[in-house]
Amino acid sequence: MSPGTTGTTGTTGTTGTTGTTGATGLTLPDGLVAIVKRDCPTCTLVAPVLGELARSGVALTVYSQDDPTFPEGLDARDDTTLDVSFALDLETVPTLLRVRGGEIVDRTEGWKRDQWEAFTGRDGLGAGLPEYRPGCGSRTHDPDIVARRTAAACAAALQSRRVPLGDQEDDIEAAYERGWTDGLPVVPPTPERVARMLTGTTRDPGEVVAVVPPDLVPLTVEKVAVNATLAGCRPEYLPVVLAAVEAACTDEFNIHGLLATTYFSGPIVIVNGPVVSQIGMNAEINLFGQGNRANATIGRALQLVVRNVGGGRPGGVDRATLGNPGKYTFCFAEREHDSPWEPLHVERGEAEGTSAVTLFAGEGPRGVVDQLSREAESLAQTLAACILPVPHPKLAMAFDAMLVVSPEHGRVFREAGWSKARLRDELHARLQLDGDDLVRGAGGIAEGLPEAFGGMTIPKLRDGGLLIVHAGGGAGLFSAIIGSWVTGPGGSEPVTRTIGT
Amino acid sequence: MTRELIDPTGEHQPAGRERAARPTSLDGATVGLLDISKARGDVFLDRVAERITERGLRVERFTKPTFTKVAPIDLRHEIATKCDVVIEALAD
Amino acid sequence: MHDIVNLDSAGTPGVMIASTEFVGAAFTQAEALGADPARVFVAHPIQDRTDDELRDLADAAVDEILAELTAT
Repeated sequence: MSPGTTGTTGTTGTTGTTGTTGATGLTLPDGLVAIVKRDCPTCTLVAPVLGELARSGVALTVYSQDDPTFPEGLDARDDTTLDVSFALDLETVPTLLRVRGGEIVDRTEGWKRDQWEAFTGRDGLGAGLPEYRPGCGSRTHDPDIVARRTAAACAAALQSRRVPLGDQEDDIEAAYERGWTDGLPVVPPTPERVARMLTGTTRDPGEVVAVVPPDLVPLTVEKVAVNATLAGCRPEYLPVVLAAVEAACTDEFNIHGLLATTYFSGPIVIVNGPVVSQIGMNAEINLFGQGNRANATIGRALQLVVRNVGGGRPGGVDRATLGNPGKYTFCFAEREHDSPWEPLHVERGEAEGTSAVTLFAGEGPRGVVDQLSREAESLAQTLAACILPVPHPKLAMAFDAMLVVSPEHGRVFREAGWSKARLRDELHARLQLDGDDLVRGAGGIAEGLPEAFGGMTIPKLRDGGLLIVHAGGGAGLFSAIIGSWVTGPGGSEPVTRTIGT
Repeated sequence: MTRELIDPTGEHQPAGRERAARPTSLDGATVGLLDISKARGDVFLDRVAERITERGLRVERFTKPTFTKVAPIDLRHEIATKCDVVIEALAD
Repeated sequence: MHDIVNLDSAGTPGVMIASTEFVGAAFTQAEALGADPARVFVAHPIQDRTDDELRDLADAAVDEILAELTAT
């Protein structure tokens, strides 16, 4: 059943409208109108009264919310779709209405003898019944029913094209056949699922979130929701996905360039703030690996949007030589609660207590082992030595890096009293390179910097080219370095975006 | 009742299952002829093979074990590997 | 039809040949599969035609068959 088929429910039909029939579009017969349900002791109680009234020649129409064979002998009208009940904005059954000239002139709820007598102009109603019995909740207030009705209305209002499936088509295969997947199966985006996904945001489904390259398609909240559905997101993840998409589609992040490159990198989503625990993200054990639904599906949703809406697919615009497994999904949360430092998003200008995403164009993580450094200086030396080869020991300034410091390594810096700024300075200091080592041909390696850089001191990383986050499981003297795609004009800059609702 | 899905794409292309892109020319192509094993289909296909060969195209012949079931995977794989395009006949 | 749809999906452009009796069924089956395979129809009947008549049908259909396998 969809709203509007009977012409009685107006817009959403969830609360209906009160008052006169004109406003609801509902046509009620004149006389008495009773709305009841079988599953209600008070309705059962007053059934004989309704029988009395009918037999006395009063014009009486009864609507049943659940079973038109009740009450017996009264030929009740079927309102199991609840169209009439919603239009009347019923709270209680039984509700008794007096209708004159198509207008509701009076209404009463539950059973109260004197009220029913005054209402109907009949004395001595319901002999043997108690004076008063309150009614029961109308089915229109059943949360399941309300949810389903809202969802049906939302589903009917979706603007995206509908794709009918052949009777013999399997819905999982259908998505593969139409090129909607990343190689793994997707959740078939039925209207109901998409409607449910949209409950996760307060934003209007028609709102344009971004313009997505390479096809430069205006991307609506609704389209993001469809792809979030494909990815397997829960509705509460949607605001994070929306923020990630917004960040990715900025000029600075340059998702188009990132997509079209032959390089390894893909968009990585780092999440900060209260949303992390609200939606159950993982910032700890097996951080980069499988297992957590929010981590897995948020990153995936972003990739699917790029693929499906932007039109950017491997073999098409995407021509990566090797890519990296993170292009299926790469999303994690920072481990803030016991971090030695301020969180990434606060460092990058977001207010404390807000939630945000940071997009970083990164390749796969490179593992760093250091199980013996107890001193901060030594551990910093290790990290610098491991940053040096990213993505080649003789290249500098053109690539950024993100350092993911695990709790056990973080403890070394905490105990030494090193702030994040201190760590960053110490790393930069250890990464001032001799240009002679970097020039093309040096070390027997053709790759490298142009000859003009010989004799100069070159920083490995540009200013602002090193992001530092704290994350991972509590045991293990390991950290990770994630190299970026190229920086500078034509490349990508990390972008942070507040997560809305 | 028709099942419907909501289109996740930018809607620049048709929503159905698309046909594979055709080559701009069949010059030098190998054309597969798949006989679905209904009676008389072989006579028809023999003639189609003659006419195609006359035009300088290569022909590979295949036969389904039975017309009542889809072609086995290895047969499909063989066709896909050996042929650029395929003709299936003759359903009646 | 499943075969042509499968082969086509996997990247080998295909066309199916059927008798005109099959037009309606082919349409229904295509819809059921959510696909739109290339089709060429030849005049029914098939079973009781002579070999020469079948060859004539083939001659008449070849151009259309090859056209369905070529990009326009």
